[in-house]
Amino acid sequence: MKNTTLNKSSREKENNQSSNRNGMEEIDKIVELSLLYDFYGELLKEHNKQIFEDYILNDLTLSEIADEQGISRQGVHDIVKRCSKQLSVYEEKLRLMDKFILTKQKVNQINELANKVKESGDLSHVEAIIELTNTILEDL
Amino acid sequence: MAVKIRLKRMGQKKAPFYRIVVADSRAPRDGKFIEEIGTYDPTKQPSAFSVNEEAAKKWLSNGAQPTETVSKILKNAGIK
Repeated sequence: MKNTTLNKSSREKENNQSSNRNGMEEIDKIVELSLLYDFYGELLKEHNKQIFEDYILNDLTLSEIADEQGISRQGVHDIVKRCSKQLSVYEEKLRLMDKFILTKQKVNQINELANKVKESGDLSHVEAIIELTNTILEDL
Repeated sequence: MAVKIRLKRMGQKKAPFYRIVVADSRAPRDGKFIEEIGTYDPTKQPSAFSVNEEAAKKWLSNGAQPTETVSKILKNAGIK
């Protein structure tokens, strides 16, 4: 019981795990950027958005995108970089992704605890559930 | 025919899920692919990937080029 709550309890844990996996940091980075894109992608200019999508979501290379768009490879690189920066700035200011991740983790914990209560009838988990809901409400 | 192995983002908004696909490099934008050889799910903890080793090896030996990202995943899966 203690283990399962520990498993999902903090993002530090998640960070530790990802740094243990060789060479996966870059992929984590792509996943993070694609998640940022889910939240703020609509705010990018249409042309830039298309390039960012091709690079981050469809895993095309810079030169493939450059050929497709009729611009230089360096130009594509600059646009991807600028878009990433722009998305991070939105996140810094609005924190939608951060809140989403934290809330999701907590709801998952509540879900687990509630299932335990349902299975075992042991009401001692209810206190923890209430506490978690309170922190979610405070963060909103 | 030049063939590439790419990571392709699927899944709903805010729930990323990836497929590792073999695709024709000449039509990168049309979204079609020849074969799916694996998946990568970063929402699992730790993130889970599965690769069809046989298919991956077959494509690699036939000269299919993995992108940098896919290279890393294959290396992690002990295939390359």
